[in-house]
Amino acid sequence: MATPLPQNHRRWVLLLVAAQMLFILAVAAAGYATTAYGRVVTLRTLPVDPRDLLYGDYVRLNYTISQLPIALWQETTLPRRRQAVYVVLRPAGEAYEAVRVYLQEPTELPPDQIVLRGWIEDRYRRSLHIRYNLERYYVPEGKGKELERKGRQHIMLVRVSIAPWGQARITETQVLP
Amino acid sequence: MSRKFLETESPTWVEKGIITAEQQERLLGLYPPDEKAIGLLPLLGSLLVGLSALSLVAANWQGLPETLRLGILLSSLAGSYAAGEHFLRRGNYSLGIGLVGLGLILFGSAIILVSQMYQLIGYDVTGLVAWAVAATGLTYLYRSRALFLMTVVISCIVQGYNTGQLGAFSYATAAFTALSLGYYWWRNPDSLIGTVLSVGLLWQAGLLVSFLHIKITWFFVGAMLIYTLGDWQTDRPAGRSMQGPPIAAAFLFMLGLAIFGEAGSYTDMLRPPLLAYLAALGAVFALSLVAKRKRGRLGGATDWLLLLPGFYLPGGLPLAIAALIVLYAYTGTLLWRAHQEQNPDRVTLGTVLFILTTAVAYFKLTWGFMDKSLFFLLGGILLLGLSWYLQRRAAQTLASESTDKPAR
Repeated sequence: MATPLPQNHRRWVLLLVAAQMLFILAVAAAGYATTAYGRVVTLRTLPVDPRDLLYGDYVRLNYTISQLPIALWQETTLPRRRQAVYVVLRPAGEAYEAVRVYLQEPTELPPDQIVLRGWIEDRYRRSLHIRYNLERYYVPEGKGKELERKGRQHIMLVRVSIAPWGQARITETQVLP
Repeated sequence: MSRKFLETESPTWVEKGIITAEQQERLLGLYPPDEKAIGLLPLLGSLLVGLSALSLVAANWQGLPETLRLGILLSSLAGSYAAGEHFLRRGNYSLGIGLVGLGLILFGSAIILVSQMYQLIGYDVTGLVAWAVAATGLTYLYRSRALFLMTVVISCIVQGYNTGQLGAFSYATAAFTALSLGYYWWRNPDSLIGTVLSVGLLWQAGLLVSFLHIKITWFFVGAMLIYTLGDWQTDRPAGRSMQGPPIAAAFLFMLGLAIFGEAGSYTDMLRPPLLAYLAALGAVFALSLVAKRKRGRLGGATDWLLLLPGFYLPGGLPLAIAALIVLYAYTGTLLWRAHQEQNPDRVTLGTVLFILTTAVAYFKLTWGFMDKSLFFLLGGILLLGLSWYLQRRAAQTLASESTDKPAR
């Protein structure tokens, strides 16, 4: 199919390729902006079995806020699998804990509370299993081996930046002794 | 004609005196030996070099500084588009489009790798939608079927990820795919892209039904809307290619109902509110009929027999029988029309579907009442007789078709 290309074809190709490159740069910029403008929240993980710890280049994490009692559910409808939810967090000691779960983003919050978005992974009789997509921590250079060496069951503190527009990213991890 | 064929056959022609040795030489001269195989070597070589570079980067990916990683992604993206453009200008069409396609794949992987690099969480599909939009742009720019296929696949992936992982359905993506790619197919009618687009749209319709948790039979309202698009297309082969997948889906669904309908355990998933369903389907039917009339193809309306809502009958045997009646109505009219049109391909298709339906009907209706060996004997005789009769009809049709042709 060798149809002749339109006259200003080259200009359009340049435009389209430039737009794609700009978009990739914008994704990177969103990463920096989330750290720069985000509020830092510390989350505590549940003990991780070191044998399961390292999957290639990422660590699989399970948080205390991953499994929530059904009593936190604020809606009248029943929670459904794969629904997107808004979890309200409040500082409790060294880490944040969940206090309420909504289907719609809550508008009025006390200043010490903050919203983290997630999805219902599973619904049990008394609890909800929530996925935050923070469960995979891509290990920076050389850190994987270090995490692996800690051995035995251990707990991690994970610092997450939550930007005012809702975007979140892991910025730091710390293994508790 | 290929040179290989000439080389093997022409000595016999010379021997039999059909052509002279000189004519043989001249004929062979018309088909020079293929030079393409030699051009492959540098290509394979550069492929190996490329792969080694790729494995080197992949092995050290985590160890590279962020800016370098970003730079590698951006430059390989720009590089493959530039190389694609270069080869297209030199007239090497397939290699050029291949490289543009590679650039498109690199764009998608770059979006994923960069968000991974910054541990960014995707809360919506904006990033992936950008991928689908870029793919559509390239399809229009290069007017290439290969890029069209990639665009359909990409938009299917985007929507699948959205419903599967993010628990949302992007109406914008679905509408954008249907409108932009549908318009492309409308202006550049083609069978292959029609079929692919049709399957892609069916996939989106299926995801929407599962996302909304509505009765699965609503799917067929969407499917028949896609079918109706094919009715409005003026180019007949392109139109039919759009209609194949929805009809195949409806046929398989009915066949499934005929085979498993008796179980009744899932029949509550089948019945939407009767009036709303019939009204929606009826509206699509009317649209389809108007188009068929306009294009002078009213006979094709028999396709709609497959959509008779037999599933409103109570579960159990009545449901299975209703499904079988629908199937017979469709395959019977399909065969009848094929014989009228004297279309050999249609006759074959109709015969196969008719025999399939009969096999299911026989299995369904007699298994419970009959001794097993008698069941097999009678079933075999029935199918043999049926296939003999249909073959005879087909042969007659084809014979009358060949005698109908004007004698020269």
